[in-house]
Amino acid sequence: MTSTLNRRGFLQTTAAAALGAGLMPALARAQGEPLGIALVVPSPFGDVGWSHALAMGLDQVVAEYGDRVKITKLENIPEGPDADRIMNKVVADGNKMLIAGSFGYQNGAMQVARRNPDLSVLHASGFMVAPNFTPFAARNYQGTYLMGMAAAAVSKTGKLGSVSAFAIPELVSSINAFTLGAQAINPDIQVAVVWVNTWFDPAKEQEAARALLAQGCDVIYSNGQDTPSVVSICEETGAYVFNLNSSMLKYAPTKYLGCVATDWAPFFLQSVKAHLEGDFEGHTAYLGLAEGVIQPMDWNADIPSEVMTRITETQAQLTDGSMHVFTGPIARQDGGEAAAEGVILGDEDIVSMDWHVAGVTTPLPS
Amino acid sequence: MIGLSFVLSGMLAAAMPFLLAALGELVAERAGVLNLGIEGMMALGAVTGFVIIFHGFGHATGFLGAGLAGAALSLLFAWLALSLRANQVAAGLAIGIFGQGLSALFGKSYESMTVAGLPKLQLPLLADLPVVGGMFTQDIVVWLGIAATLAIWAVLRMTKLGLIIRAVGENPTAARALGYPVIAVRYCAVMFGGLMAGLAGAYAATVYTPLWADGMIAGRGWIALALVVFGTWMVGRLFFGAILFGAVSLAQLAAQANGVNLNSQLLASLPYIVTIVVLGLISSNKKLLKRNGVASLGVPFDP
Repeated sequence: MTSTLNRRGFLQTTAAAALGAGLMPALARAQGEPLGIALVVPSPFGDVGWSHALAMGLDQVVAEYGDRVKITKLENIPEGPDADRIMNKVVADGNKMLIAGSFGYQNGAMQVARRNPDLSVLHASGFMVAPNFTPFAARNYQGTYLMGMAAAAVSKTGKLGSVSAFAIPELVSSINAFTLGAQAINPDIQVAVVWVNTWFDPAKEQEAARALLAQGCDVIYSNGQDTPSVVSICEETGAYVFNLNSSMLKYAPTKYLGCVATDWAPFFLQSVKAHLEGDFEGHTAYLGLAEGVIQPMDWNADIPSEVMTRITETQAQLTDGSMHVFTGPIARQDGGEAAAEGVILGDEDIVSMDWHVAGVTTPLPS
Repeated sequence: MIGLSFVLSGMLAAAMPFLLAALGELVAERAGVLNLGIEGMMALGAVTGFVIIFHGFGHATGFLGAGLAGAALSLLFAWLALSLRANQVAAGLAIGIFGQGLSALFGKSYESMTVAGLPKLQLPLLADLPVVGGMFTQDIVVWLGIAATLAIWAVLRMTKLGLIIRAVGENPTAARALGYPVIAVRYCAVMFGGLMAGLAGAYAATVYTPLWADGMIAGRGWIALALVVFGTWMVGRLFFGAILFGAVSLAQLAAQANGVNLNSQLLASLPYIVTIVVLGLISSNKKLLKRNGVASLGVPFDP
């Protein structure tokens, strides 16, 4: 069972539903009703992008559990008091699992989790943990490292660019890994970054892509855009492009370098199973190639076959853990040393990364 | 140098969504009506234009439809504000939010879809100049937008129609005493504003960024409102203000792409800061306010 609501529709039903809210939880337990799972995201689900990937993950849960789960999907919920109110509301309606799909929902979701010990919360990209509160994030950097290898192989100018949303560790580390991967193929490669400081402004994102293309960048990494704004302009101007989360191949049929897709299904299925069996335990879920959450796909045929072979080998090594992306020596942009020869950066270094590797030409905004 | 020519060649197109919407709003405000619903009218125009063009009816039809959609929504606003004499601020905000909601509703099944943009037209000779040449390679809407700026300037300044519009905005009682239909003039001015906002939205969603996504107007309607104040209700100043706003927004992106470290948030907020300064300056001086402002702006007229 799946019902999709937008914010307006949701607000309309609020009044009616509020009446029954007090009764709902008791009824749910008594009649063995399906497990209510609510997904809250900040942007429209659309056909592509971050929110779409989360929704697709839940579709797999429905495919597996059928009528034993009841999904409520809420899109376009701005971070802040609105989100807090809506998360409280879906829990009051009897949902026992909450997927809070944005970093900014963290405090509100944590409050709801504390007030409702029988609720299990999965929260995207956060750092807070509680017995019933699991922050989850994808090791996108593993995928962008592979994309960097491909990008360096197809670039003629030796200049790569990234249109990036906000300078937060998750995006910074993925740009660094992209640069390191590119350097594995061409040590002299340069990466320029434009921070647009918005999760959603297609016009500004295209302007940023044009600025990078004017600089001579011929491969663009669309980092944090939920619409094909950057991807479509690259196809139009003849630059290679790739993005994360879900494939935008149809918007750039000839110039799509590939996609670092995120498949949340394995993680969601595991969490639902744990909740139903009563052994859900809050932990930091940092998921990558090994868990099947990061899935590189749609590789462009223009990537030379010998490089493609290396990419496949590297992917296998990253998956089985015999290789790590952030293995020293790694030089910082400012000339300092981030990791000495042979040193592997730990997860805590990656999730708090606030520096660029050498080879990134744009200083990180302070 | 690359950054400079990038900014010069892109600033006219970047300015077009604010410029078109602000020109329409300027006419409405000159007639004495403050329409705060520009953002919603742009959004509705954007989705209307996008859907028409998506289904293969071409850009001309798309822009026509977008203009009509914007005008239709502004007619609703005009009815509230002029016929029912509702508070213009409240009515404008309500209609603006309504327009954004409508655009989300109509655009639901077109989310993240794309259309083809418009080709660029070159001005001969000028387009071959180094550095500045890019300024003379623009799509047809940019050229028409510049023509519209000139036309609106000429009408407001040199024709009897312009004089009537200004009279209605300055002193509606006197205008009525002279026999001019104040409310009718205001209706037309508001609907012209809605039409221009619709066109501005269509430009944003089908030419500048040829894709539809809910919320893609992203505050440009508010920039247009700020621009009218920035330009102190003068067409010429508004035009240069719009280009300045466009240039600043591109310059901060180009600076980053060039590896220049500057505070992009500060640069991005510069247009708003300048608007506040301008507003502060003209409000602090009664003479300046009288010379630049519109005397009956936002005041309902009860004949």
